Amino acid sequence: MLKLLAFLTLSLPFLTHSFSPDHPTDRRVLVLLDDLAIKSSHSLFFKTLQSRGFELDFKLADDPKIGLQRYGQYTYDALILFSPTVDRFGGSIDLAAILDFVDTGHDLIIAADTNASDLIRQISVECGVDFDEDPSAMVIDHMSYAVSDTEGDHTLIASDDFIKSDVILGSKKIEAPVLFKGIGHTINSENSLVLKVLSASPSAYSANPKSKLSSPPLLIGSAISLVSVVQARNNARVLISGSLSMFSDRFFRSEVQKAGSADKHEKSANEQFLTELSKWVFHERGHLKAVNVRHHKIDEADEPAIYRINDDVEYSVEIYEWHGKSWEPYVADDVQVQFYMMSPYVLKTLSTDKKGHYFTAFKVPDVYGVFQFKVEYDRLGYTSVSLSKQIPVRPFRHNEYDRFIPAAYPYYGAAFTMMTGFFIFTVVHLYNK
Amino acid sequence: MVKPSSSSSSTSQDALALINSLRSAYSATPTTLKIIDLYVGFAVSTAIIQVVYMALVGSFPFNSFLSGILSCIGTAVLAVCLRIQVNKENKEFKDLAPERAFADFVLCNLVLHLVIMNFLG
Repeated sequence: MLKLLAFLTLSLPFLTHSFSPDHPTDRRVLVLLDDLAIKSSHSLFFKTLQSRGFELDFKLADDPKIGLQRYGQYTYDALILFSPTVDRFGGSIDLAAILDFVDTGHDLIIAADTNASDLIRQISVECGVDFDEDPSAMVIDHMSYAVSDTEGDHTLIASDDFIKSDVILGSKKIEAPVLFKGIGHTINSENSLVLKVLSASPSAYSANPKSKLSSPPLLIGSAISLVSVVQARNNARVLISGSLSMFSDRFFRSEVQKAGSADKHEKSANEQFLTELSKWVFHERGHLKAVNVRHHKIDEADEPAIYRINDDVEYSVEIYEWHGKSWEPYVADDVQVQFYMMSPYVLKTLSTDKKGHYFTAFKVPDVYGVFQFKVEYDRLGYTSVSLSKQIPVRPFRHNEYDRFIPAAYPYYGAAFTMMTGFFIFTVVHLYNK
Repeated sequence: MVKPSSSSSSTSQDALALINSLRSAYSATPTTLKIIDLYVGFAVSTAIIQVVYMALVGSFPFNSFLSGILSCIGTAVLAVCLRIQVNKENKEFKDLAPERAFADFVLCNLVLHLVIMNFLG
């Protein structure tokens, strides 16, 4: 019995699949719903997640038993909020708990909708996204709406204004427009971590479709973002959408024709767009790791504790990208290393062998002090790589200078000639009487 | 000798006469002082050679250049001081024995070369 217990305790870390630095894809996802009917009406989206190996845990948002952590450990790697109208979460979840969840590096998907609650708006504001303050407002576009049988109020938008990033949206081109019906938001321009993934067209605006426009709408044109993502400094990723229905089976299956365009698509791009985006949000793509950071003098293998000025140094690092199942070599030609003391003294682009190994060689500058090898690599859609390694640099020792400098031989000669001359002069002067 | 007609030849005549008179006056100088003069000339020319060399190759080991040139200048200055003191016609130092002057010269040279050797490397 005791043996069994010990075996279980030891093997427990290996049995649970969860987020770890070596395996950055999320595993356990908590889905909070307004209504359990969403589970079936949005089943296609959930199925794509489950088929990729995620364990979805569906709960009502006001379930009193829900909680993100137990005994100080997070029991989920990611959170999906499909509960736009919830005013208070049940259990121990509140605004602060969700922000802590993101601050500890976990991922979040928020789908708001018209009449989004203040709580959902607050969470979004904390992520750098401001939804239209008018609770009944929707994004309306009289130019690029989706053609349907009934004329409607043009709140069903067909948008194809995607962010140009293969790492966020996948390398396969999205052909059809994405259907969107919901509330628009703007992103805080001072927040450089938020990215507009799907923008509204220049003719869109945000207003209540049921009432006449009495004053100019506040949110207009392509300043409106329909779907945004955030990558926090700790590499936690957040997806914020103003429409819950864009995740629905109906929109996934729907055929789409953009107003003013002749080509009719069999299927909207919602499935492809949201599947690729969820791959990015759940760290199946665009997650970099740097390992084997090494530096040494040329022709030596060991890393020294200190360098001397003018030493020739080799620096190398291996960078891999996570591809959902395995680490693949990351290939780029713009990774740079700095040799840094208050400002970079050396800035060199690393060469690569296309197998993830990046290397370069340079001469330590003629300045001594405490330096750092720094790699600061931030690219759109990729997690940031920030490496720094401190290393002191000393001046020459006294016995490391050249004893005799060839260029100075005439001066040495002159000095010794003067001494000899003095000796001869003394003899001559004394004996010449 | 033909009388010079132009002014330029008269100038060269004058210069020649000046040099001749200088030479005859200098030949009356005691041999001791002549040796000192030779020694000063040697030191100064060595200094000039070093300055030319520095202008050609650059001032890199600047401390070596300074000590090389200062050893020559210092030697020349000390030798000139010795010459002033041992000159019989100089009445200012007539109370000072030439032996004493020479001892001063030797001591100063020793100090000079000690400093030069320290600064040379």
